[in-house]
Amino acid sequence: MAFQILLNFILGFLWMFLSNDYSSLAFAKGYFFGILILFVLRRFFQHRFYFYNVIAIIKLLYIFLVELVKSNISVLKVILSPKLNLRPGIFALETELEKEWEITILSNLITLTPGTLVLEVSEDNKTLYIHAMDIDDVEQAKLDIKNTFEKAIKEVSR
Amino acid sequence: MKTNDIIFQTVTKIVVFIIIIYSLHLFFSGHYTPGGGFIGGLMTASALVLLLLAFDIKTVVNTLQVDYLKLTATGLLIAVLTGIGSFFFNVPFLTHTFSYVQLPLLGKTSLATAVLFDLGVYLVVIGVTMTIIQTIGETE
Repeated sequence: MAFQILLNFILGFLWMFLSNDYSSLAFAKGYFFGILILFVLRRFFQHRFYFYNVIAIIKLLYIFLVELVKSNISVLKVILSPKLNLRPGIFALETELEKEWEITILSNLITLTPGTLVLEVSEDNKTLYIHAMDIDDVEQAKLDIKNTFEKAIKEVSR
Repeated sequence: MKTNDIIFQTVTKIVVFIIIIYSLHLFFSGHYTPGGGFIGGLMTASALVLLLLAFDIKTVVNTLQVDYLKLTATGLLIAVLTGIGSFFFNVPFLTHTFSYVQLPLLGKTSLATAVLFDLGVYLVVIGVTMTIIQTIGETE
């Protein structure tokens, strides 16, 4: 992945030198053609074509923004409702992510979407302890997190 | 009860670089825009303090291996030498000058001797701040 990005940058610089035009526009042109070349020769690399990962990152950002708006509206409903019938609680979430940055991103995404909050990561980095503002259905909340955030993060680091 | 600092440490590993590059930008922008040696040094020291907070003192000391007392002395020496340098041109102590130089890559650049004095200030501020914090941190 990193090797492919470096190769793409080198191709962009080569385009600048070949066309004798040292501007950012020329670099962008070379970078675009480099993407095309890498796409055609994508079977030669050990990892998959890196632009899929870029698309996955954009998808993750989109999911995060949508969730942020949705959950903020739900928290607003809770605040403005006359009666508080909340059932706060803490549940454990077994995560399948392994790398440090993946766990960090997952925890921050869970924390930034209101209603849920990461309290603690276990010693072996396998369990997240999450405080939920309103536990209707623990299994449902777990499934939600797994289906949205974990899947998107896995897609990025594939 | 030992807590797991994985999130804090991972974020620190990324943020420290951003803080240090920002401190260098502040250091070099001190001539025409707000910034300078003092605030740049404090910014760099704050990045090191963030490292100290996220990891152990032993880890940071073994990783960097900088003697902050010598760093302070070096900064003071640089600042004094820029003042003494003005004697060679028969002008009063600490007189600073600047000139426009044609550099091969950067083009027309104004090089000022005040930058060297500022470098001394920068090193002294980092050294003093880190000496104070590490001395307080190590005493049981």
